[in-house]
Amino acid sequence: MANDTTYLSEIHEIRVDENSPLFDKTGLLYKEFPSDYRQIRYFTLLIVQSAPLEIKEINLLEQQISEVIKNAVKHGNRCKPEKKVRVWYSFDSSHAQLIVQDEGEGFKDLEKWNEFNRKRLEILSKQDYEGLADYVSFRTQKSDDNDGGNALFAALEYWNGGFVYNNKRNAVAMLKKFPQKKHAIG
Amino acid sequence: MELKIRKSGDNYIIDVNGEMDLYNSYKLKELVMKMLEKKVERFIINLENVDYIDSSGIGALIYICSTIKKMSFKLIITNIHGSVKKVIELTKLMGYFPITNSIEEAIQQMED
Repeated sequence: MANDTTYLSEIHEIRVDENSPLFDKTGLLYKEFPSDYRQIRYFTLLIVQSAPLEIKEINLLEQQISEVIKNAVKHGNRCKPEKKVRVWYSFDSSHAQLIVQDEGEGFKDLEKWNEFNRKRLEILSKQDYEGLADYVSFRTQKSDDNDGGNALFAALEYWNGGFVYNNKRNAVAMLKKFPQKKHAIG
Repeated sequence: MELKIRKSGDNYIIDVNGEMDLYNSYKLKELVMKMLEKKVERFIINLENVDYIDSSGIGALIYICSTIKKMSFKLIITNIHGSVKKVIELTKLMGYFPITNSIEEAIQQMED
């Protein structure tokens, strides 16, 4: 079991760890797509359709996967159709695991994002909603009006089993553990 | 996504129907900006018929909320439910957005 400090850093920071078990592709299904912005939600549905019906909040799972694919298509591959997005995935009633890889330069602003998010969480812990106004959206020079700048805040919360980049930062692996039904005994 | 405007007293209610995703969230932003140009000052955004929102949708709501706050006009977002509520919770924005459970409550709050 991880100690408390490790647990906190997993929750509050995006990590870079190519050796994370989340990058193990054994037994995972695979699909690849061209970087066509118009088809991001369609590609996502092709993946999510293999998720079992027992998974509740399938809309939320779909949305979270769509965000990661969007990041790969738009920020990674800059919507160049010849560049591929590769997705490895596995679903059952207890978990969802994905690895999404693009052909881009990698998430260069990862440290800046962590710093921004650290300040955001500090402000949230003080319930300073006035101050929060400056920390609701992470922007870079390449951000445009359609970038919400908030997808990764939710991703880090949603992917409760980890959200980890490879060393080149052009692939991200993630795990969601679903709560299991408690069976009555006796 | 379909947007309809109705009026209740001085309040303009925008009923959003459909999905607030990366392909259409800008429409709500554009509509609110146009209404601001026309001197509308009190907005209620009704998300009763929205079952899907993504980061672009959240981004549009943040933009609308911060613009209206800066102008010292009034905004309430209402009838948030299901995965829309979950996404706002995951983004930790429940305390940032002015939210009510119903349109009646929103109208009441506008008068306070």
